[in-house]
Amino acid sequence: MPAPPFADRPRIDALDKVRGAAAYAADMRFPGLLHAMTVPSPVARGRVAALETEAALRIPGVTRILTPADFAPTQRVADLPNSPRPGLVPEIAFRGEPLALIVAETLEAAIEGAEAVRVRIEGAPFSATVDSPGAAREPAPDVSTGDAARALAGASTIVEASYESPTQHHNPIELLSTTAVWADGRLLIHEGSQNAGAIKVAVARTLGIDPAIVDVKSATVGGAFGQKGWVQRQTALVARAAMLTGRPVKLVAPRGQIFHLATFRPLSRHRIRLGADATGRMVGVHYEVDQQNSRSGGFPANQYHDGAMRLYGIADYAGIAANIRTDTQAPGHMRAPYEHPACFAFESAVDELSYRLGRDPVALRMANDTRTDMHTGKPLSSRFLNECLQIGAERFGWSRRNPAPASMAAPDGTQIGWGVACGLYPTLIHPAVATLRIAADGSTRFAVAGHEFGQGIRTALAAVLTRELQIDERRLQILVGDTTAAPQHLTAGSWGSASALPLVVQAVARMRQAVAELLDGRRIAGTLHQQIATVRRPFLEVEVSQVGPGQDSAALQRMRAGGYAVTGPAYPDFTTMSYIAHFVEVRVEPRTRRVRVPRVVSIADCGRVVSPRTAASQVRGGVVWGISHALREATETDPRYGGFLNNDLAEYVVATNADVDEIDVGFVDEPDPLFNSIGLKSLGEVSMVGVSAAVANAVFHATGRRLRKLPIRVDDLL
Amino acid sequence: MSRNDDISAKGDPEDRNRASPQGDSTDPLSLNRRATLGIGAAMASSALSVVPLRAQSPQVTALPEGTTAIRTLVNGRPVAVTIDVRTSLLDLLRETLALTGAKKGCDHGQCGACTVHLDGRRVASCLTLAAKADGREVLTIEGLSHGDALHPMQQAFIDHDALQCGYCTPGQIMAAVACVAEGNATSRERIREYMSGSICRCGAYVGIVAAIEDAASRMGRG
Repeated sequence: MPAPPFADRPRIDALDKVRGAAAYAADMRFPGLLHAMTVPSPVARGRVAALETEAALRIPGVTRILTPADFAPTQRVADLPNSPRPGLVPEIAFRGEPLALIVAETLEAAIEGAEAVRVRIEGAPFSATVDSPGAAREPAPDVSTGDAARALAGASTIVEASYESPTQHHNPIELLSTTAVWADGRLLIHEGSQNAGAIKVAVARTLGIDPAIVDVKSATVGGAFGQKGWVQRQTALVARAAMLTGRPVKLVAPRGQIFHLATFRPLSRHRIRLGADATGRMVGVHYEVDQQNSRSGGFPANQYHDGAMRLYGIADYAGIAANIRTDTQAPGHMRAPYEHPACFAFESAVDELSYRLGRDPVALRMANDTRTDMHTGKPLSSRFLNECLQIGAERFGWSRRNPAPASMAAPDGTQIGWGVACGLYPTLIHPAVATLRIAADGSTRFAVAGHEFGQGIRTALAAVLTRELQIDERRLQILVGDTTAAPQHLTAGSWGSASALPLVVQAVARMRQAVAELLDGRRIAGTLHQQIATVRRPFLEVEVSQVGPGQDSAALQRMRAGGYAVTGPAYPDFTTMSYIAHFVEVRVEPRTRRVRVPRVVSIADCGRVVSPRTAASQVRGGVVWGISHALREATETDPRYGGFLNNDLAEYVVATNADVDEIDVGFVDEPDPLFNSIGLKSLGEVSMVGVSAAVANAVFHATGRRLRKLPIRVDDLL
Repeated sequence: MSRNDDISAKGDPEDRNRASPQGDSTDPLSLNRRATLGIGAAMASSALSVVPLRAQSPQVTALPEGTTAIRTLVNGRPVAVTIDVRTSLLDLLRETLALTGAKKGCDHGQCGACTVHLDGRRVASCLTLAAKADGREVLTIEGLSHGDALHPMQQAFIDHDALQCGYCTPGQIMAAVACVAEGNATSRERIREYMSGSICRCGAYVGIVAAIEDAASRMGRG
């Protein structure tokens, strides 16, 4: 039985955050702490012939310099989120790769030491961009359903166009920060991460130690967006430094280096042929996508189709994909990694189709609704996309729109455009284990797999806990991102809530049962805490676990071992996706041709909304990301030397306060009847999917110019 | 540029000419902090110390090369400390004084996460040398509230959910308090403009503007 609607409640950790009291990884203090700094590779490919460290070692305060000699040789494996990273190695695979690690008494000495290291390099030829000689196109497996060629041959209208989404970097404001402490035969790592469980296993493998002696804590993360889901290269380096020096070591990576160390959203090119019949039914799609990848990158190219093929009820879909291998660090998951670029392309094509057909773009989309996952043939567990469109159109005032391009203008000549686009995102889940402890002293502790990076998982857990249990919230401790409290799994892909929240309901039921067994028929008044106190127990603790639909205990074991154990969105009996509709107004200034976004209406179907306040913030944040990606963000590759040119926040332009105006957010708030006991689906990523298409469609409506390459800039509109 | 963001070559000149931009005058990353400061390589390795003002001898003995002694007032508390002359105010606060509320987000004055008040004005503490705080007053997020009573701006940030991950929040709040004090919180447009030096990557801008409007009215400004 799905839960009834949840009430509004404040963010549980907001008080600490506004006082500067929330402790992020780099805020941890340890006596005798040493500071570390890396020496990055100046070349994209080659081999270190010699590291000259004498001058650096003479700098007062520099205590040690780690080089490849301090690490056992490691094989490079396919780069995936949980893969162990190499230690320091002489072979250079990308510009910015760490070549040495300086450890010093002060940060200033560490920086000076890093700058004093001299490196002799034997350079090798490299391919910097997807268009460079030597960039190798490598097809990925197709994702196809039905017979797209036949369907397109029978279509009465075909839109054919190419779209491009640029290289982008996550840039959470918290820098990649690692502190490692080696004491009493255990290694403790504090790092802002989405994947504490994988760090535990991967760092142990890189250093050749037992994962059982490694503890990882990532209690509060300063933004992540997918960047912190992958095991970072620096973590094992800092851990090794702590083991060699016997002192705690901290590294806060400079932002310019992070552009080259962490993953990024790769450039992708999308070629779409979309066919419709005379009634406006979309009948077939041939969609080819190429993405940039690194030589050993494992970020799959064909997942762009996972969302696009389920956006409408299109039976015949040919999904083609390829990697273009270049000499860079591995690209990876950045918020809505596939769905954002794919829906930019696909929802732009649908808008083009609406003009070719002379149909209203909202009505055209609503006419192509489906209740079936056309790829698997199974039913969708819930889909309220048409409700999102309907509510959004009403709130936005869509009926007042003049459909003709360049037909709406302000008195000063500013062109006004209204655009719409939809988004969707798979609803995924991983196995998890949770413990609930209720103590006689009135305190409550809940520990589960999950990471808090601002999305509000602690607040959502508290929302369910306080509904199920009478507890003193001031004495409630919610432990996430801590391998000593519960086995940890990668928190990403908007699967955090589905993987953790239903366990609260289960744990509370188990706890009530345990208390009843303890009381053995005695009737004691008061809360569970008081009942436990009355029978003189210090506390009672229960453990519960959950697997996703169709998963068995093997998946649970994989999760417990620090592995990747996600399933979905195609489950044995149904498919579950979240949906959103975005309505955007743009204003294009007459002389500067600057594009402004004065208002956005976004209505989401994420199933039951558990934490209305943090959910609305998530959607507003996703819309800001969409605006930023549509109009601002692109990382420029240096074709001469590899690496990225605009590797700071002045040159890599993200949306600031002045770029954002009204964002009106709403939820259908209909529980999903099949996916879990609460009826929730997924939200963090779907919130941004489709925004960039809605902006581009609005720019077309304002100006008559169809822009198929992001970001849209002033010079595109001159 | 500073802080070893420079990923340009330190290698052999011949190799550099082949494969890297080092020495290329078009390289935007070639200037480092040491060059900017024009100081020598030598520096003190001695641990920094915090000494109450009254405990320090008026007779300043010779300091190690590359260090300087400063006296400042941080959140109303006198601080006398010997620092590496290269130390930023942000690193002094965080690494020496254990005031970790101000955050390092870029170390280039581009993100605003490190914003504190110096003599009542907002500054990027990562771009402010700690030595510049000598004889001046520093206010950080830790000094904004009094005991359990939050500053109206802090309460407004909670009420309007003007944050998500919280990492930029101390800087946003210090900038917001200054924005009101400067008389720049008179309209939403003006708030947006005067708050655009503080990046919130989570995208809590709508809440931030609402919080500042709300707090400004409680603070008797705006």
